[in-house]
Amino acid sequence: MIYLDWAASAPSEPAALSAAAEAAALHANPSSPHPAGRAAAAALEDARRRLGALLGGGRVVFTSGATESNSLVLLSVLDRTREAAGRRPGVVVSGIEHSSVHDQAERIAALGAACRVVRAGSDGRVRPDEVAAAVDRDTVAVSIMLVNNETGVVQPVAEIARAARSAAGQRRLIVHTDAVQAFAKIPLEPGSLGVDAASLSAHKIGGPRGIGALWLRGGMALPVLAAGGGQERGMRPGTENVAGAAGFAAAAEARLARLVADAARARDLAARLSRSLAALPGARLFPAARADGETDLCSPWIVCFGFPPLPGEVVVRLAGERGICIASGSACSSHKRIRTRVLEAMGHDRRTALSAVRVSTGPSTSEADIDALLEFLRADLAPHMAAAAGGSPPRGGRG
Amino acid sequence: MNGRLFLVKYGEVSLKKGNRPTFMRALRLAIRRRLPGSSVYESWHRIYVECRDGDAAAAAEVLRRTFGVVAFGEAVRVPKEMPAISDAAAGLAASFVQAGLGGRFKAEVRRADKRFPLTSYQVACELGDRILRDVPGLRVDVHRPEWVLAVEIREQAYLYGPESPGPGGLPVGCSGRGVLLLSGGIDSPVAGWMMAKRGLGLEAAYFHTPPFTSAEAKEKVIALARVLAGWDPRIQLHVVPLTAFVARIRERAPDEETTLLMRAGMMRAAGELARRRGAGCLVTGESLGQVASQTVESMAFTGSRTDLPVFRPLCGMDKEEIIAIARRIGTFETSTLPYDDCCVLFSPVHPLIRPDRARMSASWDRLDADALLVEALEGVETVRV
Repeated sequence: MIYLDWAASAPSEPAALSAAAEAAALHANPSSPHPAGRAAAAALEDARRRLGALLGGGRVVFTSGATESNSLVLLSVLDRTREAAGRRPGVVVSGIEHSSVHDQAERIAALGAACRVVRAGSDGRVRPDEVAAAVDRDTVAVSIMLVNNETGVVQPVAEIARAARSAAGQRRLIVHTDAVQAFAKIPLEPGSLGVDAASLSAHKIGGPRGIGALWLRGGMALPVLAAGGGQERGMRPGTENVAGAAGFAAAAEARLARLVADAARARDLAARLSRSLAALPGARLFPAARADGETDLCSPWIVCFGFPPLPGEVVVRLAGERGICIASGSACSSHKRIRTRVLEAMGHDRRTALSAVRVSTGPSTSEADIDALLEFLRADLAPHMAAAAGGSPPRGGRG
Repeated sequence: MNGRLFLVKYGEVSLKKGNRPTFMRALRLAIRRRLPGSSVYESWHRIYVECRDGDAAAAAEVLRRTFGVVAFGEAVRVPKEMPAISDAAAGLAASFVQAGLGGRFKAEVRRADKRFPLTSYQVACELGDRILRDVPGLRVDVHRPEWVLAVEIREQAYLYGPESPGPGGLPVGCSGRGVLLLSGGIDSPVAGWMMAKRGLGLEAAYFHTPPFTSAEAKEKVIALARVLAGWDPRIQLHVVPLTAFVARIRERAPDEETTLLMRAGMMRAAGELARRRGAGCLVTGESLGQVASQTVESMAFTGSRTDLPVFRPLCGMDKEEIIAIARRIGTFETSTLPYDDCCVLFSPVHPLIRPDRARMSASWDRLDADALLVEALEGVETVRV
């Protein structure tokens, strides 16, 4: 089997497995004051300290994953409703956000917040001036992702943060970034990016599923809607996932220690794939600039392409039959508009957006894996392209 | 058999005069086939089901889902003598009160055996007296009773309380067999259910277009057929591979005709499948005007690809009405799983709504469809659900 869906969930780092198993043996509740509880708490704090160090300082709040981290930030906006004296607190997000930001923003809009969605350009990037233009006097939070999970496009978050803050003037603004596809994959120091909060996930970098974190700038606290035992300084009540936290820290350390070499190899693989795709009849790269060898625009770990109008879902299915695991952001359905949101936000029509396929690699992906994928794309798609494309032009007449 | 007894009432089947024995046999068989180990027999215009104690819940479930059954109730059988009947009546009344059915009741007596010495009215009065004497807190209310104790005096005496409704209709199979065009949607399973209710045995056909539709979509249709099997246990599902035919449409016909030509091909293939399976009609879930392929003109064209009658029991129903039935028969949850039975590719953005018959026939002829469809039927996978 050839696994090229690392952006969905990555194979486990061996160090993460052993660290998680070791911490799982510490069975006690970290909130308990007895020695067994203190041992569990020590393991948890050790993981927090190590992750904090990898992120260049700040505060690490453990969550169940990036979805929860994102919703912690967005839900905190609702708390301002009362402060805002009759005005609706506003949030600005982009149209290419993961659904845990985009749909959560719609949810809080239904609960009384004002939500503005900024589109992306055809290059897949959100423009800082457009974000700034969306910020008004009621905006309390801006959330723009760092690396898009479907296209791999790196967003100019530092510039966006600067522009948004300057538009907000003296008013306090929370700038948040969903950094799931960035952390331990490209260099990341949220503090230097100028954001206040960043969402992280362990299983995208070889850590366990079910653990993530919300990084907060030092001294920063968010209003929290959930109440409970006061864990994570009240930010995320609930008994902590000690094994997950230990596995997360170990995975991040392992991946970051090798990052420079791994990323260079990933860049070569992405270039190899993009170049070959550009030469394949019917293939389109998203964004198109990738076909010209543009490498700075995107994460080296994600390549997005399609053979419109062949639905991405069909390509994924055929690849699966060949033992190749890839992903499609879209579904072969006339109802699920939501699945094509990201590419449509980049200005693509629906048929094109439905064709998108995502290949995401990891440190152990080889040239042979990429070549096997290319061989599959060359050989196996052709018979279905005719059915997808159709032959006859539309005719006139009634109907 | 020392166990439980159900008394089953049937309605329409008893009206079929000359055909009555056939219908009755079909109904008894329908019940017996699903309740192996139980005894199913007819006597004096009632069907009786006797089963072991542990099978009673299953038996009730089967009767609730057997077309032809109008109502049924769990009954007590005693000799045709007043002391035995009175004792049984008092015992049942006490159990109904304990089950919380309420305090207002009446006794309803039917004396099928006219040789029985007391009239129905006399029996009812006597049982009422006995119950009032034995069970405290009860009151007779012949106009608005909370429960009715029914007594039937036949070859023996049968007593039963509140009845459960059956689904009505005719026993499955006694109206012949038909091919149901089953998709993964909400409508077609309901259409199949409605025709099965009128006694039609179902052969379901699902048209599969891999790799454009997923294995999950096929599994979903199999799951729907399984739900229908709760009503027609002999249903079979034929999975017909249609990819080559659809590719031909894409190759030779304009985009806006895709859906119509696909539907036409399904009708043609289903008609041929029906011929091979000895079925006499087709059933679809079409509802007038619901989508472009379900207008009068569209259905006139797609229906013209077969010479069998095409039954469309949902044609005059609104979506809400269809959904209500889907929920009731248990197909709705499965139908709304997110696996599509038709790829977006084959759903034109601007489909024809009022297709011109001559134009569509010409398009059809250009497909050289028959050879491809015969080939598709050679590749049928029949799933026993």
